[in-house]
Amino acid sequence: MNSNIVKIIAILSIVASGLWIFGLGVMVQDQFFHKATPLRKEITSQTETANDQQLHLVALGDSLTRGTGDETGKGYVGYILDELRTKTKQPIQVTNLAIKGQRSAGLVKQLQQAEVQRQLKQADFVFMTIGGNDLFQGGETIRNFSIARINQTKASYLRNLDAIFRTIRTVNPQAIVFYISLYNPFNQLNNAKTTSAIVRQWNYDSAEVAARYPNIIAVPTYDLFELHANEYLYSDQFHPNKEGYKLIGERVASLITFTKGERK
Amino acid sequence: MTDTLVVQGLRKTIGKKEIIKGLSFTLREGEVFGFLGPNGAGKTTTIRMLVGLIKPTSGHISICGYDLRRQFSQAIRHIGCIVENPELYPYLSGWENLEHFARMVPNIPKERISEVVELVGLQNRIHDRVRTYSLGMRQRLGIAQALLGNPKVLILDEPTNGLDPAGIREMREFIRFLAEKEGLSVLVSSHLLSEIQLMCDRVAIMSKGEIIRIDTVENLLKEQARVYWKAAPLDQAKKILAEQTTVLGEKDDAIVTFYEAGQLSAWNEKLVQAGIRVSEIQPKLPTLEDLFIELTGGETID
Amino acid sequence: MINLVYNEMLKIVRKKRLFIIAAIIAVLVGLFTYAQLKHVQEVQKRLGTNDWRTQLQQQIIDTQNRLNSSGISEEWRKFLQIRLQQQQYYLDHNINPSAPGAPTFMRMFVENSIELFLPLMVMVVVADLVSSEASGGTIKLLLTRPVKRWKILLSKYIAMLLSVSFIVLSLVFLSYLISGTVFGYSGWNLPLLTGFAVHGEELDTTNVHLLSQWKYLLIELGLAWFVAIVVGTLTFMLSVLMRSTAAVMGIMLAALISGAILSNMVSSWKSAKYLFMVNLRLTDYISGTAPPIDGMTLGFSMSVLAIWGIAALFISFLVFTKRDVY
Repeated sequence: MNSNIVKIIAILSIVASGLWIFGLGVMVQDQFFHKATPLRKEITSQTETANDQQLHLVALGDSLTRGTGDETGKGYVGYILDELRTKTKQPIQVTNLAIKGQRSAGLVKQLQQAEVQRQLKQADFVFMTIGGNDLFQGGETIRNFSIARINQTKASYLRNLDAIFRTIRTVNPQAIVFYISLYNPFNQLNNAKTTSAIVRQWNYDSAEVAARYPNIIAVPTYDLFELHANEYLYSDQFHPNKEGYKLIGERVASLITFTKGERK
Repeated sequence: MTDTLVVQGLRKTIGKKEIIKGLSFTLREGEVFGFLGPNGAGKTTTIRMLVGLIKPTSGHISICGYDLRRQFSQAIRHIGCIVENPELYPYLSGWENLEHFARMVPNIPKERISEVVELVGLQNRIHDRVRTYSLGMRQRLGIAQALLGNPKVLILDEPTNGLDPAGIREMREFIRFLAEKEGLSVLVSSHLLSEIQLMCDRVAIMSKGEIIRIDTVENLLKEQARVYWKAAPLDQAKKILAEQTTVLGEKDDAIVTFYEAGQLSAWNEKLVQAGIRVSEIQPKLPTLEDLFIELTGGETID
Repeated sequence: MINLVYNEMLKIVRKKRLFIIAAIIAVLVGLFTYAQLKHVQEVQKRLGTNDWRTQLQQQIIDTQNRLNSSGISEEWRKFLQIRLQQQQYYLDHNINPSAPGAPTFMRMFVENSIELFLPLMVMVVVADLVSSEASGGTIKLLLTRPVKRWKILLSKYIAMLLSVSFIVLSLVFLSYLISGTVFGYSGWNLPLLTGFAVHGEELDTTNVHLLSQWKYLLIELGLAWFVAIVVGTLTFMLSVLMRSTAAVMGIMLAALISGAILSNMVSSWKSAKYLFMVNLRLTDYISGTAPPIDGMTLGFSMSVLAIWGIAALFISFLVFTKRDVY
């Protein structure tokens, strides 16, 4: 019986050796002698299994949407989610596509991706923050202050913003889009007056763009941070802290209701 | 009688040190040949060269007419050996061990395995794992393994090492049996003269890598045997004994003379006639130590 | 020769090492299956979906965010960028790289065990193949048979090859069987991408093509076997050179572990790519992960391994046939 075990193992091993050598052969043929054949792009003919029971939230934009500065990691999207869960029993799915440091041009590109569009198509609500990085450029704008350059930046930003809104509306004409506008993180600095003016103008122009499309709501945050900037800002003096995000989240959430006949 | 193993001018140098300094000897069919020497004399190294484990620096070894170096396979077929301890695979049974080694030699049928098992008397335990064997059983299994290929020459390195007195005796008889009844040449190494003396026909005495002497056991013993005389008065006894034979000296209040078979009573009579009181006559076979001191002129065993 | 190989296989089997290894693999596979299951459940809970596209998209975004955070090392950044491009490629072509199922689990298990786990298992069997004969004294009995020394060593080497094949086989068999109870047994025909080439920071996709998972697996297993053979050969050499099995294991262990560590930090020490232990992750070339040092390719790594293996084999035979046995 023992000698049989040895024989069985030996035979199995020989067969296995053959198999693995064959694998190596396939590898050589596949990896070293493969003719480059262009990969056909698969047409995503998937049936949209948009689960109507589910509430789809999609978040787009930059570090603010990501939640940078909130030590709990929730960000305003997280607080909105918390609020919504108290309001409805529907299961909620959140897709946060925000990228730290993203500028408007980046978002335009991101929205071209098939998967992002697919997500967007399913969305019931879209939240976005954008522009902060365009305007402040990581503090660069404040250090080398130039009205002319800011205007130039703003012009291209507004073009991008328009493209973003247009894309969203084309992909999903129904979803309600909350465009969360800027606050002035430099409120405490000595040139607060000038910066505030710029941010206000920036927000105004952005709201104008948003107004061209249906169901795109510009949500102001400027006022939230106006009085107690230090209490609501993170230690980098730029991003909101936990409390700051909570304020934003609560404000946006308050705009969403689930009363009958609310639908679009 | 034909020579089964012929060794000529065997040398081994390791580094600059010459360990084996030109050995030559032959083994004849049906004889038991003893390799006697203290530990470190080069017995094991020589044996390892005989079985091809160590390559000699120079010299020839031929087994049944085949040169060990050039015709290794044919030559080694005629040798069965145990080098040092009989080390077998402890996780296999005795039978499996034998099967294992049988597979390495062409044309050994299963019957031959049973045959050697019976020969060494291991039938009852052969299917147990070697791990559970006593040293004596392992020694026997080792011999079974060595006999498996019907060798002409059997080489056993310290075969009685670690055996109890009964085991030693059994081993001795077995070795004699193999030589006399089966016609094998057996080479046995040992550092105990008493052992060699009881089972060997001829002996080679080794020291420091050289063979000092090769002779039959009988001759060696005859030459080296001593008689211890305890008598009073001592000086007078010495004088009388000196007339009969050579007095070699005094030791522990006894006179030491050569031993000559059949002469002791005559010498004793002379002593008695001279009025000397002989209290003790003790013939002593030489110990290895004596033999060595004798042969090498004072070299000590270390 | 067949008799000699049979002898060696008998000894390997009777030492029970192969069964111990199979048991270790079974336990580990069970462990990883559970971990993977937990992970899947966790992701599902976090995202509220089991849609892989959403998950992959989320992974891409996570990667992008990590890329944007300050203070990550250059190497890590490069790695992330390549992974990002790859994930994006999968997403664009609608291919789920981690579709659940036993074959996928198997593939991941092989990819993750090729560098350390599999070599360790091989080592357990091979380390005492020759050294135990020397330390147990049975080498004297082996070498005083009418068989030439090179034949004895060759039979041991062949037995080593067979055991390596057996170990890989049991790895495949057990991981398929055990993980399948949880993830299901299907997924052999899942298309996967291969042919990525990494040039600096760029992912070259000109040769990218689709492979069915079974073919992909076969390739990876071939490579895993190759790696195991090379590691086995090196261990075999040490086993010939040394009497102590513990010393053989110690040296191989040190080499393997240092390889795993070095792979993560050698990118600036270019000549380290000629060491065998940083070349073990052959499957990375198939899946398109960046190699630890610039300029390493599948062909290069295989050549390096082959040269180490051949040299080890040569030394083994030279020493074994010439050596005096005391």
